[in-house]
Amino acid sequence: MSKAYVIGAGMTEFGPQPETEVHELARRAAWDAINSAGVDPDAIEICFAGHAYQGPCFGQKALMRIGITGMPIINVENACASGASAVLGVLQAIRASEAEIGIAVGAEKLTTPGGGFLPIVADDLDSNMGRVMPAAFAMIARRHMHRFGTTAEQMAKVAVKNRRNAVRNPRCHLKKEVSVAEVLQSPMIADPLTRLSCCPNSDGAAAVVIASENVARRYTAKPIEIAASVLVSGLRTPYGIVDDHSEMSIRAARMAYARAGVEPADVDVCEMHDPFTIAELVHYEDLGFCAPGEAGRFIDEGRSEIGGDVAVSPSGGLLAKGHPLGATGVAQIAELFWQLRGESGDYQVPGARIGLAHTVGGGVTKLEAGACAVHILKA
Amino acid sequence: MSANSAPTSASKPIRPNLFVAAAADGKPRLLGSRCRETGKIYFPSEAMNPDTHKTGTMEPVEIPGRGSIVSYTRVTRGLPGFSSPYTLAVVELDAGPSLVAQIEGAGETELAVGTPVELVIGTIKTEKDGTAIIGPKFRPRRPEGP
Repeated sequence: MSKAYVIGAGMTEFGPQPETEVHELARRAAWDAINSAGVDPDAIEICFAGHAYQGPCFGQKALMRIGITGMPIINVENACASGASAVLGVLQAIRASEAEIGIAVGAEKLTTPGGGFLPIVADDLDSNMGRVMPAAFAMIARRHMHRFGTTAEQMAKVAVKNRRNAVRNPRCHLKKEVSVAEVLQSPMIADPLTRLSCCPNSDGAAAVVIASENVARRYTAKPIEIAASVLVSGLRTPYGIVDDHSEMSIRAARMAYARAGVEPADVDVCEMHDPFTIAELVHYEDLGFCAPGEAGRFIDEGRSEIGGDVAVSPSGGLLAKGHPLGATGVAQIAELFWQLRGESGDYQVPGARIGLAHTVGGGVTKLEAGACAVHILKA
Repeated sequence: MSANSAPTSASKPIRPNLFVAAAADGKPRLLGSRCRETGKIYFPSEAMNPDTHKTGTMEPVEIPGRGSIVSYTRVTRGLPGFSSPYTLAVVELDAGPSLVAQIEGAGETELAVGTPVELVIGTIKTEKDGTAIIGPKFRPRRPEGP
């Protein structure tokens, strides 16, 4: 089985881009990734394209603008984990020796006039009962506060950190630092989560070119190995997504650490699924960066800052960089590619050698969630 | 059932076969299914048993509406058609299954993890033409209550 390496990455700015079609956003990201890899566009043998709401044959509509259709293009929907699932698809094709070079593309346009929440899922009972996503995460927060004594201030510190990181990332949606007081005093969305505790709805696209061991070094002296790529689906759980931990994140992370042969303490940089502040705290514990119940102290002590034990979401994360669903999981891999090559500019994590990307997607009544992906990359 | 959320003639259930507004004793029930082999109760109902992967073991069941709050939030900004703010909770029924539902008749300060609640049928949201979408909601009850 071939190893697989990221050899190029591209990303648009995240944020409102009302004048640009989603397929054009995806084309720009794909073209940047292809150029940064230095591959002949016609050498790309397979594409997986992630999106949630962009309609049929999204990937074809993006790549035809570059003039590379004809090979298999597989469109992937896994809600917020669509992009991460697309990366997995390309990786599996390469590991199975079905292709030497492939591209994962992800994009989404979410900034529609009057938009605020994601569209209601017509067939999902919880959604129809009024369970918007901020409410789900507010109830997760209440469970974590109830069990561990986690505070609103500790949650707010996640937004403060990720906003501060974002200021140094030119592609970010939200480029203004905020204070704990500002987070706590911003308008309440679903108690205890305020507006600044929630990620924005963003437009954007990202792409990565992935190559086999056979060919990766023809294109770059610094290919970045994808040492583990794990995708799991959620189990039926008594309370659905509302719990003080994420079973599927714990399960996916354990599998990924075992496959990559690394421990949580080895991870230098993590791009994490942080659509709401509480999610990042819960996932510190799920991914093994600290013990259950210790997340509040972990953020208090600055251990997830750039320069701390593990830099979490140095890009700004979903909270500040933005969350164009289909793009998000691909963008995390792109960010890690740049971090592990030392190319992240003002938000570079010094000396980063091992990176972890974590995504959770999809509110499904009775399941914890639809999909969870954990990727581990090695310099 | 509280007066301000009583179903009117211009109303329809949020989903068919999800609840009965008044069972034989006049109280509302949720409609689910029970496995004849394991005794486990499911809500909403399941065509086959997702735990044992068996077919032909499920039978319809009326589920009493007593339960307690697992977690809750006050939603300040809801989707169009929802009367915001509203209180949303995960309720674990005494009979086993859990569901997400709105809580009515409760000030925020009255609620906590573990607060006992009982089922009512009320308006969940209102469509643009004024039709009330009705379904399961809960309100606090005294622990030794009816």
